[in-house]
Amino acid sequence: MQLQARNLTLSLICVWLALPVRAADPDAVNPAPTPQDWQRLAKLPDWSGVWTPVISDQVAQEKGNPPPWKPQIAKQIGHMYAEEAAGRPFPIIDHCFPTGMPSWMLITHNAFEVLFTPGRVTLLGEGDGNRLRRIYTDGRPHPADPDPSFHGHSIGHWANDTLVVDTVGILPEVYLAITEAAGVPNNGDMHVVEHLHLNDPDTLADDLEITAGKVLIKPWRTTRKFYRQRARKYDIVEGVCEQGSFREAVDQSGNSIFVPITFHNGVPVGSDSK
Amino acid sequence: MKHTAVRAWCMILSAQLSGAAPNAWGHHSFAMFEPFKSFTFKATVKTFQWTNPHVVLWVLVQPEGGGAPQEWSVETTSPGVLTRSGWSRLSLKPGDRVSVTFSPLRDGSHGGQLHSVTLLETGQTLVPGSGKEQPGLQ
Repeated sequence: MQLQARNLTLSLICVWLALPVRAADPDAVNPAPTPQDWQRLAKLPDWSGVWTPVISDQVAQEKGNPPPWKPQIAKQIGHMYAEEAAGRPFPIIDHCFPTGMPSWMLITHNAFEVLFTPGRVTLLGEGDGNRLRRIYTDGRPHPADPDPSFHGHSIGHWANDTLVVDTVGILPEVYLAITEAAGVPNNGDMHVVEHLHLNDPDTLADDLEITAGKVLIKPWRTTRKFYRQRARKYDIVEGVCEQGSFREAVDQSGNSIFVPITFHNGVPVGSDSK
Repeated sequence: MKHTAVRAWCMILSAQLSGAAPNAWGHHSFAMFEPFKSFTFKATVKTFQWTNPHVVLWVLVQPEGGGAPQEWSVETTSPGVLTRSGWSRLSLKPGDRVSVTFSPLRDGSHGGQLHSVTLLETGQTLVPGSGKEQPGLQ
């Protein structure tokens, strides 16, 4: 009996050793896609075109389904709303960092597009040159200790026609924002799970569950909607945020250059302003 | 943390955010403009700055009491959004005479948020954004 138990234990250990390694493998290699990999893409739902945020719905969600802020965070948010109403909006986006996750999905006024390639889904945004999300769908796990970043580390899988995305490794300084002037840094350990799917042929829904224990008393579930546009004038254009801080000029040598613009309280103003 | 440089950058940013208002960042909400106040000026286009995150129309305004023209900045949305509303980077050019309507900055500085601009020579009026929210916009 004891022998059988020991053999069973050894067998289980062998089976466990034979399983694919789930911890991140720093030496892993991305294989070249096969024709079958490309053919599988054709079976995915059609998310082509350009997706524009439904801003009126963002506002409705902000008012009707606010995050379950911790009491001390709710005080900060209340102060931000008051400051915004007084014409002193808190500068959540007054820099050229990416908005980051999940605030990009929550508050953006800009369009994005979605690319499917073998083993990956990529969201390409408009408005900041580095606004993009890489979602790995090749079965890899999260790294054990991902380098924190604005968009975090995202892995996804398809459940029928829904893309399920799990994101960790978001910089603690990245805001969890509900408007361009109300939000707080997530302060670390934020975890975002999304279910992206078509609500109807031309409406993409992102059902988010945001766990941010430093600022929320419980996970926050909310949805954002995006409408499909196919007119070519909706094609994504390059947006380099920092460019807006400069104007074009010609230097003494005849070279085309950028020169800084005078800003006052975050906005460019006429040079003769007091 | 391996990206110590990035984190240090962000710590500096957080410190800045907690202190005085920044004075050199271009991406912002529009709450600093008077939402229910509107100015209309006849002006001459100095520069049409076709940049992200905000396009800026720089105009020269002749003061009613005389004196040197005053420079005003009138901000609006992004090139992408304007393109979808029928604008282009060539919609306005230096020297164009325009009538520009905008919400002014609350602090009295020479800046505003654009409502519309009319080219006096042709009568063409441009407004930022269609205001429509639906799929399949043309």
